[in-house]
Amino acid sequence: MRRTSFHILRVGLAITFLWIGILIARQPEAWGGYLQPWAAGLLPIPLARAMYGTAFLDVAIGVLLLIDWKTWIAALLAAIHLVIVLIVSGITDITVRDIGLLAAACAVMIESLPFALKSQS
Amino acid sequence: MTPHALLFTIAAIGISETAYLIKTRVRFEKPICLIGEQCATVLASRYNRLFLFPNDVWGLLFYIASAMIAAFLVIGVAPMVLWYLMLKIVVTMGAVFSFFLMYLQWRVIKAWCFWCVMSAFTIWLMGAILMTSNLLNI
Repeated sequence: MRRTSFHILRVGLAITFLWIGILIARQPEAWGGYLQPWAAGLLPIPLARAMYGTAFLDVAIGVLLLIDWKTWIAALLAAIHLVIVLIVSGITDITVRDIGLLAAACAVMIESLPFALKSQS
Repeated sequence: MTPHALLFTIAAIGISETAYLIKTRVRFEKPICLIGEQCATVLASRYNRLFLFPNDVWGLLFYIASAMIAAFLVIGVAPMVLWYLMLKIVVTMGAVFSFFLMYLQWRVIKAWCFWCVMSAFTIWLMGAILMTSNLLNI
């Protein structure tokens, strides 16, 4: 991938994660409503607290992507997080966009993998 | 929420830009100059460090402060009036400092740096958004 397009994708993904984190922190219960009942029932802690944790994770991923530090780890976390989101909320009119975000996170992760890891694959 | 969302987004772009400039400076690398070829001239000049710290560090602090205040305003962290006032003060200071840095490039260094000009326009855009939202009361 050309470096300029990689950085545009990285910063765009970072801003998306930062924004989602802030919006979840703003209304944790409302965002928790996207969880399927079976998934909400599995939570060992109150839903609001779990959503604050999700908000923190999203902001942390966003910051790492934004400053281009440990980018591959941030992108890997983002991809895992999005897979979990798709599983626990199902593919709805809202979450269908997460497929695009998942693809973007995978692209950033593959592009920013350390040389040692790349040469093994 | 829309103006604060815009301010947050612009500040986030600013954070990534200044983080890039700090990284290249610390690694003694030349930053990629997307437009023009004078970035290194400006960034290596004696004016790259004002008020004890390099300008990119001041820029990063400015953008982090702006992004955090905008985020507080979106989330609704009290006291909202104080955060809004702080945002106005921070952006005004940034806009004035950017005018000074643009003057230095134009008249003193006589070279233009793509990243510095982009940062100045970014901060002025933030100021314009704040003023417009204030006038329209949104």
